[in-house]
Amino acid sequence: MQQRRKLGQKQINRELLNGNLQTPKWYIPVMIVLGSGVLFGLGTIFYMFNRGLGVTGLARPVYWGLFITTFVFWVGISHAGIMISAILRLTQAEWRRPVTRAAELLTVFSLLTALMFPLMHAGRPWRIAYWLIPYDWARGIWPNVRSPLFWDPIAIGTYLIGSTLFLFVALIPDIAILRDRTKGVANKIYSMLALGWRGNPRQWQLQTVAGVLLSALMLPIFVSVHSIVSWDFAVAPAVEGWHSTIFAPYFVIGAVHSGVSAVVTMMCLMRWLWKWNNFIRPEHFDALARLLIIVATAWLAFTFLELTFSLYGRDAPEVALRELQIFTWPWNLLFIIFLLTGYVIPVGCWLFKKLRSNIAVMFWTSILVNIGMWLERFLIIVPGLSRKQIFVYTWEGYWPSPVEWIILAWSFAWVSFLMLLFARFFPLVPLFEAKESQVFTTEMKVGRATVPMVIRE
Amino acid sequence: MSKLSILGLYDNPDSAADALDALSESGFDSNNFDVLTGTPYPEGAFGEHTPQHRLFRFPLFGAIVGLTLSVFLTTTTQVVYPLVTGGKPILSIFAMLVIMYEMTMLSAVVTTVIGILFESRLPNISMNVYDTRITEGLIGVSLVCTSDKKEQAEKALKDSGAMEIKSSGKQSDF
Amino acid sequence: MVIFGILALVGIVSIILKISQGFDTKSAWGYYAAIVSVLLGIFGAAPLVAIAPTIAKADWHRPVSRIATMFTLAGLSTVIMTIPLIFALPPLVVNGLRRRSIWFDANIYTPHVFFGLAVIGLFLIGLSLLWVTSIPDFAAMRDHSNGWKQRLGKTLSRGFVGTDGQWVSLRARVGMMGTFYFMFLIFVHILYSVNFSLELVAGWKDAIYPMYHAVTGIQAGIATTVIALFLFRKYWKLEEFIRIDQFWALSKLMFATTIFWFYFFICAFIIFWYGRTEINIMTIKILVNGPYMPVFIGAFLLSFIVPWWIIIWNPVRKNPRMLTLIASIILVGHVLDRIRLYVISWQVYSDEMIHNRYIPLDQIPTQMLSPGILDILIFFGSISLGIFIILLASRMIPLVSIWETHQSILLTKHIKFHRTEVYAVGKPD
Repeated sequence: MQQRRKLGQKQINRELLNGNLQTPKWYIPVMIVLGSGVLFGLGTIFYMFNRGLGVTGLARPVYWGLFITTFVFWVGISHAGIMISAILRLTQAEWRRPVTRAAELLTVFSLLTALMFPLMHAGRPWRIAYWLIPYDWARGIWPNVRSPLFWDPIAIGTYLIGSTLFLFVALIPDIAILRDRTKGVANKIYSMLALGWRGNPRQWQLQTVAGVLLSALMLPIFVSVHSIVSWDFAVAPAVEGWHSTIFAPYFVIGAVHSGVSAVVTMMCLMRWLWKWNNFIRPEHFDALARLLIIVATAWLAFTFLELTFSLYGRDAPEVALRELQIFTWPWNLLFIIFLLTGYVIPVGCWLFKKLRSNIAVMFWTSILVNIGMWLERFLIIVPGLSRKQIFVYTWEGYWPSPVEWIILAWSFAWVSFLMLLFARFFPLVPLFEAKESQVFTTEMKVGRATVPMVIRE
Repeated sequence: MSKLSILGLYDNPDSAADALDALSESGFDSNNFDVLTGTPYPEGAFGEHTPQHRLFRFPLFGAIVGLTLSVFLTTTTQVVYPLVTGGKPILSIFAMLVIMYEMTMLSAVVTTVIGILFESRLPNISMNVYDTRITEGLIGVSLVCTSDKKEQAEKALKDSGAMEIKSSGKQSDF
Repeated sequence: MVIFGILALVGIVSIILKISQGFDTKSAWGYYAAIVSVLLGIFGAAPLVAIAPTIAKADWHRPVSRIATMFTLAGLSTVIMTIPLIFALPPLVVNGLRRRSIWFDANIYTPHVFFGLAVIGLFLIGLSLLWVTSIPDFAAMRDHSNGWKQRLGKTLSRGFVGTDGQWVSLRARVGMMGTFYFMFLIFVHILYSVNFSLELVAGWKDAIYPMYHAVTGIQAGIATTVIALFLFRKYWKLEEFIRIDQFWALSKLMFATTIFWFYFFICAFIIFWYGRTEINIMTIKILVNGPYMPVFIGAFLLSFIVPWWIIIWNPVRKNPRMLTLIASIILVGHVLDRIRLYVISWQVYSDEMIHNRYIPLDQIPTQMLSPGILDILIFFGSISLGIFIILLASRMIPLVSIWETHQSILLTKHIKFHRTEVYAVGKPD
């Protein structure tokens, strides 16, 4: 399966910068649509701030609802970047090259979005954000380091800063390329951002070392972030279904599942929108799908263990919770959809080589995975809280209000808007990686066959 | 005598490598010339000397700073404001570990990035001559020398097959 | 070979003596259960070193994979050891009441039957994996030796002559068997860890524990492979095949699993520590700061702190001697870790207590059990038995996979790249 083509540097520049040096035809209309979506969403958020959290569906006993679900969802998506660019870089997987930048970018923007949800969820963020930053000196209120809710922003902040720096370091050589292709104000800005990059051996060597070193540093952060998010739930002994030791790795592997799927979705879009057929090839989808089969199966194993051990204790409230979550309307429907979209349908498709090399199939299955993964978080959080227990007088379920649905939709528009905005000014596929891959591959003859070779130092 | 910078452009790696050899033979110090490429090449592909770096010290330093800061932050906030929550002891080591870990890593990442820029000698504001075609696949051999050696350098570059030679800087004696 | 043979015999005799003491005193079987768990780690997980890189299409594993896969043979020792332990395991219905189990309402001997089948299944899958990966070498043996070796080669190579179709199906089979072995190994770890320790402690509810068990087992398996590689390389003079590259790659795996040790541990620990319910406090007391605290600290230091702090340095990762030292440290830590988990589980088990919601703090023993002489003999005997089998097999199967080494020579070469020499790896698929 060899789809690689020999490309010159000029051609790589021309093809990969096609969205940067001129504006594609579809770009402005799409941005207008997304931009108005973003504005509408922001308006809704301010409406909610103005009216209070009463406009949401949150009510006793369910105080964590769609916002927290979506927060966990976006933190999950953010695990795409480091999974792809760090793990695959450390294992020297050659096919990672065109994917890394987009994955890191998705990390940065989805984390930014995720961070907004707990703040929104606070209702009047400016009045209680002292749980993060000690600004309420007058009342002597300090962040409480023993609270997992304080660990969260620390971990996510670390991950966000780290990913942004990681993204920037790898962007410098590509900004230099843009600097050499632009004139006027754009040239001035790119020159400043390129920091005077010249491309001598020292700079290239450090670029390579930096990739490896930063990957190694980011990997432990990546694991810790979602673990800490899961501990928001798991350290609470009072909520059945949350107080489980498996939560941390379970959340991490689920995050990888949804994050890598989101990267697949993005790659399909990149191939369709910018026509980068020479760079994003069916073989990449094939490799990602095979990776996803392994990740998804591991995730399923964790799901299975989580369920088994929740019933293992035979505690009545826990069993009641699982009954609610799996067998009671409407959760049972959601549960079935979750299983089908999170595992059965996508993995069923990916098992066949024909299907996993088909871009359209990959696009839709990767979207299905993320529907399933969103539902997974929803099913953990909401039924867990609307539990049937002694001293709980309100057993009503929770259903998100239109305001919450609009804000959920806003988050997707917002992330897409940011991505497209970035894509207008910076290349989404790392050019120097594409060029490096041309230099670092050669061919050999074994008998009559030509085998591609990868150069290792 | 003033310094000036010269740039020879090559369209294939072998002649660029020849140029480096020629410059060494003509007695130029290898610290004064450099290869510029639009893509990474395996180390030593042009016969250039391998650059040494001390990048690995940076994350170590950062980690130590981050750890110290985080220990300070987590202990003082708890000791200064000793409110017992959830029955946990004041100075809960397991809670502090999480924050210490994150701050250590953050500080290590930040210093690594500073280290990368520092070791790559960026930002670079020198006005040495450059050509935009380097990011299009041409290979540049750049050289800084005193103006009296200009001809010698240009000859070495030309003989090894340079497509074009550019120079900049104050040209005093010509 | 003789020494290992004798030790193995002594071990088997000790097992028989142990059985003759009866199955009623559950606490007497704690060390035995810990030994079986260690065997599952060191013999069961070692083949993963061959499997995982094959699936990830790495190229460093080729000279190593045979030695790692040979450990499947030592699984026989695990199978033998398991049989008495199954008899010692209490049934699901105790004193007329059903105890908590991941088998819920199944037949009362389900865990016994299933675990027995799973261990035997793992052994058989391992054997077929070894056989599949050795077919081309058996064919070579058939063509280039005489006497019994030739006959054996003829039988086992199943008419392999190396046509394109045979190679394709061979590669497919290696991939499939490898994946299957891996999944089965995880399954066995889940069953063993839950049925033979977690379920014996009333109130210990820990969903990550099976995964912790599997991951730490894999850590021990990698450490075993490193030691085996070092010894085979030294005494069989395989320096030309087993190079620093292989150790370097293995060191990274060892590093990763060492960090995983801590990660999976802390994930469970922090939940219990934060929960602070009686059950949580009891669980911590059983696992960490109870009578087995010294053992826990030993395991923590030797399985995590010491190896982590040493392997983090790059020069160490390229030094086979140092790596072997660390691998040995990890193995000692692994043994201590299993002792802290299994011995107490069997010690606190009693037919009455098992139905409690949890064990009251004052009922947790204050003294740790020390191993009897039989336990020590069984420990050395069972490991020697495994090594004995491997040494025996090394007379029949080449230690370095010949076909994979040929492939590796075919697909890697040093090429001149302008002014430097680089190393290029072919990626045929």
